[in-house]
Amino acid sequence: MTAYMIRRLLQFVPTLLGVVLLVFMLFNWIGGDPAYLLAGKMSNPEQIENIRRQLGVDQPYYVQLWIFITQVVTGDFGVSWATNEKVSTIFATRLGPSLTVLLPMLIVGTLLSMVMALLVAYRRGSLTDRAIMIGCTVGQSISILVYIIVFQYVFAFQLGWFPVQGWGQDFVTNLIKFSALPVLVGVAVSLAPDTRLYRTFFLDEINQDYVRTARAKGMSESRVMGVHVLRNAAIPIVTHVMIQLPALLAGAFLIERFFSIPGIGREVLLAVERSDFPVIKAVTVYVALATLIFNLLADILYKAVDPRVQLK
Amino acid sequence: MTLVRVFTAILLAATLAACGERASPPVVSDGADSKAGKVLRLTFQVAETGFDPVKVSDYYSGLVISAIFDSLLTYDYLARPAKLKPNIATALPRITDDGKTYTLTLQQGVYFTPDPAFKGLPHNRRELIAADYVYSIKRFLDPKNRSPYAFLFEGKIVGLDKLAEAAKKSGRFDYDAVVAGLEAPDRYTLRIRLTEADFNFSHVLAFSLVGAVAREAIEAYGDDTNAHPVGTGPYRLQRYMPSSKIVLEKNPGVRDMFWHAEPGDNAADLQIATRMEGKKLPQIDRVEISVMDEAQSRWLAFQRRETDIEYQLEELAPKFMTMDGKLKPEYAGQGIRMERSVDAEIIYLFFNTQEKIGDKPNPLGGFTPEKIALRRAVAMAYNIEDQIKIIRKGQAIRAYYPIPPGVAGHEPQYRNSIAYDPRLANALLDKFGYRRSADGYRQQPDGKYLILKYYSSPSERDRQFDELMKRSLDAIGVRVEIHKDRFAELIKLANQCRLMMKHATWIADYPDGDNFMQLLYGPNTGQTNSACYRSSAFDARYEKSRRMPDSAQRNQLYREMTRQMEVDTAWLLTDSRYRNVLLQPYVIGYKKSAVNAAEWMYMDIGAKEPR
Repeated sequence: MTAYMIRRLLQFVPTLLGVVLLVFMLFNWIGGDPAYLLAGKMSNPEQIENIRRQLGVDQPYYVQLWIFITQVVTGDFGVSWATNEKVSTIFATRLGPSLTVLLPMLIVGTLLSMVMALLVAYRRGSLTDRAIMIGCTVGQSISILVYIIVFQYVFAFQLGWFPVQGWGQDFVTNLIKFSALPVLVGVAVSLAPDTRLYRTFFLDEINQDYVRTARAKGMSESRVMGVHVLRNAAIPIVTHVMIQLPALLAGAFLIERFFSIPGIGREVLLAVERSDFPVIKAVTVYVALATLIFNLLADILYKAVDPRVQLK
Repeated sequence: MTLVRVFTAILLAATLAACGERASPPVVSDGADSKAGKVLRLTFQVAETGFDPVKVSDYYSGLVISAIFDSLLTYDYLARPAKLKPNIATALPRITDDGKTYTLTLQQGVYFTPDPAFKGLPHNRRELIAADYVYSIKRFLDPKNRSPYAFLFEGKIVGLDKLAEAAKKSGRFDYDAVVAGLEAPDRYTLRIRLTEADFNFSHVLAFSLVGAVAREAIEAYGDDTNAHPVGTGPYRLQRYMPSSKIVLEKNPGVRDMFWHAEPGDNAADLQIATRMEGKKLPQIDRVEISVMDEAQSRWLAFQRRETDIEYQLEELAPKFMTMDGKLKPEYAGQGIRMERSVDAEIIYLFFNTQEKIGDKPNPLGGFTPEKIALRRAVAMAYNIEDQIKIIRKGQAIRAYYPIPPGVAGHEPQYRNSIAYDPRLANALLDKFGYRRSADGYRQQPDGKYLILKYYSSPSERDRQFDELMKRSLDAIGVRVEIHKDRFAELIKLANQCRLMMKHATWIADYPDGDNFMQLLYGPNTGQTNSACYRSSAFDARYEKSRRMPDSAQRNQLYREMTRQMEVDTAWLLTDSRYRNVLLQPYVIGYKKSAVNAAEWMYMDIGAKEPR
C-alpha cells in the first residue's frame, strides 16, 4: 500500500507540470495584456511598461514560467493583480462558503440518488421505473440556469420560504438560511443524471450470480439489496462522487453568482473577467491537485469498500 | 460504514473550514440589527476592487471611497449642471497667477477615524491637515502605486513629475521631498502651483478619489491598503468581505455637517429639499452593500424588500417600466419610486482617421474628400434608433453633442449635422466613385477591394452591435468584417491606432466638458484619442479652451470643435444611457449624484410600513 501511494504521488509531478505548461501557454497566447486593463482610462506607454514591469509580464517567457513553477512548489501565488488581495487569503476566505453549500449538496444529492436508483433498479421495467426514468431524462435536459431561475422565483420570491440571496457571518445561519435553496437547486440538478447512472450500477450488480445465490439461500430482499448490491455498486459510485468533488468546487459558479455566495466558483469567474492571472493560476493548480488527490483517495476507498481489491 | 465515516470526516472538514471564515475579520452580518439604527441596503452589480483611492478606477469602489474619504471640494447635491462647493476647504479655491496658483484653507477640527495606525495619539486618531493632501496627491504619481488616475496630476503640478521621474530611477518615491508646486505653508493652508493656467483644476480637487489619506495608515497597512481605508468622511468601513459584502457605519467622530443644497426648478428637487434641509448628516447609520452579479437576483431581492435601492436593471427595464419610461402602475401602487436620469457619458462610434493601420492602407483613414465621404456615409447609414430601441431596449437617449447632459459645456439645443439617411449615403458613395461590383458590394474609387473592419468584444451585447453594423453597412453596399477580441486587447489595439472602427464609451471623471473634448485632441493619440484624430483646427481651439473657465466663450469653442469633428467625421455620436434607480417607499432624499459619488450621506430612511 505504501509503495503504491508513493508511486501515485510521484505521478502527480509530471501531471502538474503538464497543467502548469498548459495554463501558462493559454494565458500568454490567448489572454489579453493585463497592463491595459489595470492602467485605467488614460494611460501612456510608459505607464503600461511600469505596470508590466511590476507584474513581471515584461520578463522572458522562461523566467515567467520558472516563477510559476516556484509558486506551485511554495504554494505562494502572490497577490491578485486586480485587488492586491493575497491569493492565499482569497482561497482561505472563499473555501468555507463554497464547502458550506457544496458538501450538503453532494451528500444529500448522492444519498437521494442512491435511494431512488436502488428503488427503480429493484423495480426494473415497472411503471415506477419507467416514470422515473422519463422524469430523469426530462430533468437532465433542462439547463441548470432554468432550475436556478425557477427555484429562486418560486421558492424564494413567490413562496418566501428562503431569502432570494445573501450570505451571513455565522456558519449555522449560512447553512440553514442561505444555503438551503442553493442546495435544493444543486440536488435537483444532480438528481436526474445521478439516478440514471447509479441505476445502471445497481442493475449490473443485481444480475450477478452472487445475488441469485443470496436469494437462493433465503436472504431477505432488503438484505440482498441494502447490503450486497449496495456494497458492490459502491465502488463506481465512490469514483463518480470523488471525481465530481474538485470540479464542483470551481464549477458551481452559476449557483454562487445567482445566490451571492462568496465562494471559489464566483471568484474564478471574476478572475477570468479581470484577467487576474495569479488567481487563475492558483485555482487551476489547486483543482488539478485536488483531482489527483481525490482520485487517489477513491482508489484507497475501493480497498476499504471491497477488501478483494488489490492496489498495485 | 466506511463510507459513512468518510462523509462524516468530509462534513467535519467543511464545518471547520466554514468556521474558519467566521474567525477571519472581513466578514459581514446579514443585516437587520435593531441596534444598528437606520440601515440602507443596496447592491452593486459588479464587484469592487478595493478602497485605496490611488489604486482603483472602477465605479463601485469609487462610490465607497467617496463615502469614506473627503476631497477638498465637492458638488452641490441637487444643482444641475454640477456646481462646485467647498467640502473640507472652507471656501472655493483662490485662483491667482492667471489660473496657475490655487490656494485653499482647510477646516479645523476634522479628524481621521480612530485606527490602530494612530497608536500613541489621544483616542487613536489625528487631525486632518494640509500636509495630508500634499501626501495624498503625491501618491498618485508614485510608480509603485501604478495609479489609473495619475493623469489627473501628470504634467500639471510644478516639480511633481520630476519627483516621479527620480522615483522611477531610484525605485523609491521620496514623500519627504519638497515639491515647489505642492505646499502646505501652515497646518490648514494648501497651495498648488500649476505648470500652466488651468481654470478647471477645481474639478480635480473635487474628484472623489482625491480624498485625504493618512500617511500613518498607508504605511501601517502596506500592501493591504485596499482593505483598510482610513478617512475623515461620513462613513467608515465596518466589515468587508471582498467581492461580496461591504458594510459601512457612520463615522462616530464625523464633523458637524448639515443638509443644504440648491434645488432645481422641479417638484422632485423641491420635495427633497423640503424633507432634508437642515438635517444633521449623515442620517443613515449603516450602509450594507451586497455584490449581486445577476439582475434577476437583484430584481427579486428588491421586490421582496431585501434591498432598499436598486441602481441599475437595464436588462429588466421592460418588467417594471412602461414604454414611455414611467414606472408601471402595479409598482407605483406599492409606493415604489423610480428616479430616472441620463448618465454623464457618451457612446460613440469612432473611425480611425490615420491613412495606414500598421503598414497597411486604411480605407477609412485620411482627410481626402473620398475618405471623408466614406466615413460620412458609414455614419449616415448606421441606424442609431435601432441601437436605442433594440439593443438598449429604449433605455438610452440619442447623443448629439460630445458633452453629455449634466456636464458643464453641454449644449441641449445642438443638433448633429450627420443624420441617418442611407439613401443620401448611397448617393454620396456613388458621387465619390465607390462603385458597386457584381456581388453588389462597393469597391474603392481606385477599383481596389473595399472591406471595413469593425471590432467588438465577444459578449452577447456586442454581438447585437455586430449585427446592427452589418445590417447598416449592407444597406449602402459596404462590406464589413467583424473582428472579436478580448477587452484588454481591444484597449491595447486602440492605443496603438490599430482599430479601424469600434464603439466606445466615455464616462465622466468629473463634470466638465474638457473631460470629453480631450478625447479628440491630437496629442492624446495613443491614450484616449482612439480615432487617432489630428486636426490642427480642432487642436488649436482645444488648447485655447483649456486656458478658459467654464464660460460662453469656451462653449463657443466647443461648438466649433464639434462642427470640425463632424466635418472630418472622426466619430458618430450615438447615445447616452438612462439610469433607472428604484427606491422603496421609505427611502428619502435620493437624487443621482452628478458625479460618481455616493448619495447615502445626503439621504434618510423613513418608517418601514408593512405592505
